[in-house]
Amino acid sequence: MTIDSTPPPPPPPPSEGAAGAAVADGAAGAVPPPPPTGAPVAGPPPTRPALLVPPTATVVVDNVSKAFGSLVAVSEVSFAIEPGVTALLGPNGAGKSTLLRVLCGLTPPTTGRILIGGGDPRTDAGARARVGLVPQQDGIFERDTVYQFVHLAAVLAGVGDPQAAARAALNAVELDPGLERPLGAFSKGMRQRAKIAAALVHQPPVLVLDEPLNGLDPKQRRQMISLFHRLGDEGRTVLVSSHVLEEVERFGTRVLVLAKGRLAAEGDFRAIRELMNDQPLTYRIGCSDPRTVAAELISEGLVAGCELTEGGGLEITTADAVGFRRRLPAICSTAGIRLEELTPLDADLESVFRYLVGP
Amino acid sequence: MTTPTQPPPAPMPAPDPSRTSFPAAADPAPGRIRTPGALGALYRLVLRHQLTRGRLVLFGVILTICTILGWLIGRDNVSRVSDAVDVVSAFGLGLIVPVVALVLGSAALGNWVEDETLVYVWLRPVARSRLALAAVAAAATVAVPITVVSLGLMAALGSGGDADALLGTVIGTTLGSLAYVSVFVALGLLVKRALLWGLVYVFIWEFFIARAGDGAARLSINSYASSLLADYSDQSIRLADRGLTASYVVLLAVSWVALAFTTWRLQRASVA
Repeated sequence: MTIDSTPPPPPPPPSEGAAGAAVADGAAGAVPPPPPTGAPVAGPPPTRPALLVPPTATVVVDNVSKAFGSLVAVSEVSFAIEPGVTALLGPNGAGKSTLLRVLCGLTPPTTGRILIGGGDPRTDAGARARVGLVPQQDGIFERDTVYQFVHLAAVLAGVGDPQAAARAALNAVELDPGLERPLGAFSKGMRQRAKIAAALVHQPPVLVLDEPLNGLDPKQRRQMISLFHRLGDEGRTVLVSSHVLEEVERFGTRVLVLAKGRLAAEGDFRAIRELMNDQPLTYRIGCSDPRTVAAELISEGLVAGCELTEGGGLEITTADAVGFRRRLPAICSTAGIRLEELTPLDADLESVFRYLVGP
Repeated sequence: MTTPTQPPPAPMPAPDPSRTSFPAAADPAPGRIRTPGALGALYRLVLRHQLTRGRLVLFGVILTICTILGWLIGRDNVSRVSDAVDVVSAFGLGLIVPVVALVLGSAALGNWVEDETLVYVWLRPVARSRLALAAVAAAATVAVPITVVSLGLMAALGSGGDADALLGTVIGTTLGSLAYVSVFVALGLLVKRALLWGLVYVFIWEFFIARAGDGAARLSINSYASSLLADYSDQSIRLADRGLTASYVVLLAVSWVALAFTTWRLQRASVA
């Protein structure tokens, strides 16, 4: 599904593999939207194309803006998401947390509307009951035990057997329900898991996690990512925010990219990465003979510039990333050069955003 | 594909029960959530967070001061009932009751706003009125016994065991505490640094301005609580002649309005 809140600029020719991604207004490029797969939320306003909602959509964000005084934190964001894991990607300050707060009904949107299971979570207790939220902030009931914390969440959600639900949720995040220590004495990672257990305890169809991997060690991160995938596979809608590109790659393929409060792109993560291949990209090459490789690449017209680095490596800039990556192994092999490293230096998050929203 | 005119989204599919790792939850119908134990759970939660070591020390100090004051007043055999009622009104109902209510009431929800834990109860499908009621009830559960025991001891020791003075103290303190707690629970939700603003209110308004004249006293909770004390003890207290019925009505009305305001505020709050 695609949302365009303003008329898009003329689309450049889409690159290979980019069909699953759509770059929204404000981005450096755009691709034509895929054919409609569902019905609009409402009759389309005259100035704005309708939001196309798949029949299986569980969360609908329709033209939502949120302003704090003169500061616009979220601007005309629309999307609909379906069961499975969806990542909300954006740099710090992009408006991710504000958007998630609006999405959960914690604060009203300035304009637009949110529907979760057909209800507005701001005013409809039933819609709120469908959501489990792991907020970003560290605040937690520090004097409570982890069992008290999760049990309270179960009772307030109206779970039939709150004791059993609390134990099951704690087991799911591998926390011992019998821990007597207060939450204030927990490590950040354990607190994070306690918050996830509290969000899971009533088995919500929609789980919203705001930077849930903060404070977790690598092993815990792997476990949590695995848990998110399992929940997504079970048919729940899992929306996870992050500003770390590597995390998002592991969350799954569906991403919403938020930048400067606007939805910069949405779709398949790999497709968005592929879109970047049309832009000049920089790579670091480690090999046994960088001079020869540089000469070959220049002679074949694959690079726009190259530089031998002090450590004996080679950094090149190419406008044809696909062709470059295809030819480089062959060049090395033909010349009998050992290729030791090929690292894209632009594949960090800031580069993605620079590409998507412009400088 | 559905037609473009069809409104909103299709019903949310429930997770496949055969694939869930936990017991599958029923997908709740909008607006039909039953949370039978929520009020009790919220009450116990607020109560657990009310009793900190620092507050217990403060309440111990208050109890000691009230006991000593009562004992000192009681040493005078001439006008000890009148003196005891005056001190209970001015110092007890005018200072101790609002300060204790402020410490407990402003923290009941205010602390959750400040440490950003309100989200854990706000997001749940619980009526806001229950959350407000739980906060007021829990704060009052601590404030009323503390103030009633402290001021009751002061009145009993000071008046030489005068039953009417004691009854007036207990009733005035109970209803005064309830009104103040309700107001300060709302204040905690309304402003940052509610403790500071509450102290300004107590010392500037209740302690000084409301004692300057009858007009201001009519807008003072202390005046109505003191009126109950004056009526039951049959003693005259300055600016505390509001009448028994009016005092009951005003104190209960203040409590109810503050509770309703807290509920309204929770419904419209932006939660961090």
